[in-house]
Amino acid sequence: MHAPRTECLLNLIDQEYAIRDYQSDIPPRWCTGCGDNAILTAIQRLCRDEQLPPEKTVFVSGIGCSSRLPHYMNAYGFHGLHGRAFPVAEGIKMRRPDLHVFVTTGDGDCCSIGAAHWIHAIRYNMDMTVLMHDNQIYGLTKMQASPTSPRGLRSNTTPRGAYLEPLNPLTVTLGVPNVSFVAQAADWIPETLFDIVSQAYRHKGFSFVRVLQRCPEFMPHRFDAFVQDPSLTRLLVHQKGLTLTPDTSRTYRNQEIHDPGDLNRAREIASLTEEVPVGILYRNSEVPCYEDLREGERPNTPGLIRTVLDEEFDKFTIWPEDQPDQPAAS
Amino acid sequence: MDGISLELTSPRLIELDSEDSGESSRLRQQQPALFASYSDLRRLRYDYPLVLVEDDGGSARVQSLTDVVNALVRQVVPAGTQGKAFRWQLLYLEQTVRELVAAGTEGRLSRLWRKAEAELIKAADKADREALVKNLDLARETLETDGEVIDCDDKTPARFLVHAWNTIQAGKAKAFRKRIDGLILKLSDILKSDFTKSDKARSPEILKSAVGDTFDTDFDFDAMSRVLVEGSHADMLSPERRRRIEAVLMVLQSQRFYGPGRASGRWVEDVEPYTFVFDNCADAMDAFRDRLPQMVDFIEAVSIAELEIENKYRPELHDPFFQRLDESELTADDLALFPSYLVCLRDGESDAVETVRALEAIASGFPVKVLIQTDDILGDSSPEPPRASFAGGSARLAAMALGVNNAYVFQTASASLFRLQERVLKGMLYEGPALFSVYSGATKTVSGISPYLLSAAATESRTFPSFTYDPAAGPDWASRFDIRDNPQVESTWASHVLTYEDEALQRSSEAVAFTHIDFAICDSRFEKHWVPTSRSKWMDTMISASDLLAREGNGAASVVPYVWTIDGDGCLRRTVVDDRLLNSARRCAETWRSLQELGGIDNSHARCQLEAARAEWEQERQRLSGAAEVAEAVAAAPAIAESPVAAPAEETAPAPDSGVDAAEARAPDEPYIETARCTTCNECTQINNKMFVYNENKQAYIADPDAGSYRQIVEAAESCQVSIIHPGKPRNPDEPNLAELIERAEPFN
Repeated sequence: MHAPRTECLLNLIDQEYAIRDYQSDIPPRWCTGCGDNAILTAIQRLCRDEQLPPEKTVFVSGIGCSSRLPHYMNAYGFHGLHGRAFPVAEGIKMRRPDLHVFVTTGDGDCCSIGAAHWIHAIRYNMDMTVLMHDNQIYGLTKMQASPTSPRGLRSNTTPRGAYLEPLNPLTVTLGVPNVSFVAQAADWIPETLFDIVSQAYRHKGFSFVRVLQRCPEFMPHRFDAFVQDPSLTRLLVHQKGLTLTPDTSRTYRNQEIHDPGDLNRAREIASLTEEVPVGILYRNSEVPCYEDLREGERPNTPGLIRTVLDEEFDKFTIWPEDQPDQPAAS
Repeated sequence: MDGISLELTSPRLIELDSEDSGESSRLRQQQPALFASYSDLRRLRYDYPLVLVEDDGGSARVQSLTDVVNALVRQVVPAGTQGKAFRWQLLYLEQTVRELVAAGTEGRLSRLWRKAEAELIKAADKADREALVKNLDLARETLETDGEVIDCDDKTPARFLVHAWNTIQAGKAKAFRKRIDGLILKLSDILKSDFTKSDKARSPEILKSAVGDTFDTDFDFDAMSRVLVEGSHADMLSPERRRRIEAVLMVLQSQRFYGPGRASGRWVEDVEPYTFVFDNCADAMDAFRDRLPQMVDFIEAVSIAELEIENKYRPELHDPFFQRLDESELTADDLALFPSYLVCLRDGESDAVETVRALEAIASGFPVKVLIQTDDILGDSSPEPPRASFAGGSARLAAMALGVNNAYVFQTASASLFRLQERVLKGMLYEGPALFSVYSGATKTVSGISPYLLSAAATESRTFPSFTYDPAAGPDWASRFDIRDNPQVESTWASHVLTYEDEALQRSSEAVAFTHIDFAICDSRFEKHWVPTSRSKWMDTMISASDLLAREGNGAASVVPYVWTIDGDGCLRRTVVDDRLLNSARRCAETWRSLQELGGIDNSHARCQLEAARAEWEQERQRLSGAAEVAEAVAAAPAIAESPVAAPAEETAPAPDSGVDAAEARAPDEPYIETARCTTCNECTQINNKMFVYNENKQAYIADPDAGSYRQIVEAAESCQVSIIHPGKPRNPDEPNLAELIERAEPFN
């Protein structure tokens, strides 16, 4: 077998990926000024810094503004049904655990029609990075109240104002058994957004990141207070959590040292109403992943398949005299 | 011939030509690729045709048919889906009128509208006709706008200008008649009241007729007349004054400058009013000189009339003055009372010597409005603008007229006339001479391209740039001269996105500059200067002509310059061009550059001053920092004072990646972005993607603060979602409305 040599050749033409290599030909259709752009940039920076091969990376989404993101990534993508991003992503991870799976979903897609899948996806704890773009409104269909819309919000479905208190995706996630990673980011602080997305990617398990996202079209002033007054943002810092640049630290002085292993404090922080916590609320790398628990006997990645095949072929190989019994490439 | 020599380029062209010779006839019909979307103008809703709206109030405007129909739709069509059919019907009428006009039908809008209605009714199903007719009646009754409908062709500039002139004259005539009629009536009143004091007015017959027949037996009119006549005659008009008033009335009533009003213009029947529209300058100047005595007489009469009405005429004081009065005493206000003269000249048809006369007429300062219509910008044999033709390639006569200094000069192409009609009216209203240089787009040697498109291309390619010189706008060039009507006025060539289908049938796009060469290849006379090549013949050494022109020195004989074209089938080709075209584009760019400088864009004088000021500032800074180092050494202070950071205000936090050093290195008035806080939301890059550029992390920074205007920086700062753009101070002191912009920039600095 000449597999080793081919690998060498492949390595020779390996390229250094730049941000533009992750950009698809389609320019983003989001409104100018939309916070989704910042999330896209953070993800592209992550892919570049981690040098993720586009052919080994999958973006799965449901329906909504957030769910257009796979179109703008030069990688594999699956633009699924409304609320059904998680089952698709789970299927992909189950069958191809070698792929890097990202899920982009929105507050409507995740917490309303897809709420059941969301709860069980947390419990299954499969290794994937979930970015929940929370703009607290249905933007794609032009302004209807979503489960996270603030009470009293006038929208096309709640002309007299929303009647109910909004759902808190952080406390819900923290309340599900097997939860392993919960963080909150804000699109207007790109440095921490990037930091949180990177840590979420590096965590093995279901990493849930809620990103507070501005919608300049339908919720133009929702986050103005937080954008303009840094003291309303509580940055969660810890040696195992966020590390801040000096400038971010100087601007955002409202900081709390929070150990991401402390589930109870995480739940308290998640329940804050006056301030917005930004950082890693909870991380537990001990929780087993479902794909590992249910690992089958059938080889399911190209590398494994090749190893098994090579082992079979080697049984019939006649080696030259000077190269007795070479081991097969894996 | 700097750069590529003819010997080198010509064989290359021949070689390429021979490869393509099999399909040469089809290849001869090349158009600039950017024309692709405009192949059939009749299918588009654009400025033309225009409606020359008539209104003697002097406020009439030219309206675009599209605007007329839009206004009509807003007025009569119900909103939402209810009005869908009606809206469609009105748009169909607009379409039909456009097609009729394009086919050469002339007439007023009401007539063409009727024709279009008839066609629509004919095409409709019988069942729908009743509702359709009802709709059409309603629309027709509501449609108030009417006037001649014109398309963009060789007659457009003259018709447009004459209409504008008529509009202004109608307004002038109205004011004139009001004033003169008032004077006549008041003077007549003086004479009448004087008559009532005369013996004749007190004769028994007149008295009797004043009382009427009913009571004539009750009065003794003879006795009444006797009593009245015996009264005093002391306050009768002196015969001298009466004669003067009668003479003034005669002059006022028989004026020929405007058509007859209620009281003025009662001349003998076979005398026509003067004409003021001419087709050459000599006649116009002669007419002006011939009429000077009448004008002086008329002004005299008006002045005397005004004095007489107030009874302030003192013969001992005023007689010598009015005897002395001649044409040298006429003031600008006096001249403004009379109509201005309009001369319509046409390059190629009017006598070539007219160019000298036109300049003479404009320089003489008499109120003449000259239209010079150009049909052919390029010369017969060379793509370079001809020197002999008086229209000139790049604004020759108009550019010369700028030197006259007190004349209004306006140059544009037919396609922009509608958009810039305010400028035309301003020129017509300007009290002095005005020159209008208009390119009609109806070049005879160009086939298959409509005059509208060609004239728009002339402006777009800088071959015939638009500009205005308005002496009334202010004392200096910055306020008088304006080139902002040109597309992308800051750059050498206007750049557009060309979208096409590539080999893999995928949508592809590329920014393409529209140069003088693109304009020149439309003209069949210059076929020998270019050769189209199909995809199979493209080479690595090919370079777009605009890139080659942008290179310093252009000294690369090994490259093949090309422009994008499409042939009759819509196939994209690279058309290779030769030195002649390149040189002519170079000259065109030079002319444009000098216009830009006059218009205050990257002005070389301003730049020199700015550099001098910057050097001075730099020196001062070095001196200060040197002093600081010395002071520091003396005090042995370990730390440099930290740059002041305003505590919580996030706007003032310096960019983390550049750090404090960068903040210090930055000039205090320079614009900057806190790049690390950029959320990539595209607000600024959509305003100007040359000034605002994304870095390797896809976060924005200011790549070139001179790539756009201060206005754009301020607008970007205002629209930035996270307020991280700091506009600094304006870099170009000539930019308009700076005071307002600086005020707007203040909260972001």
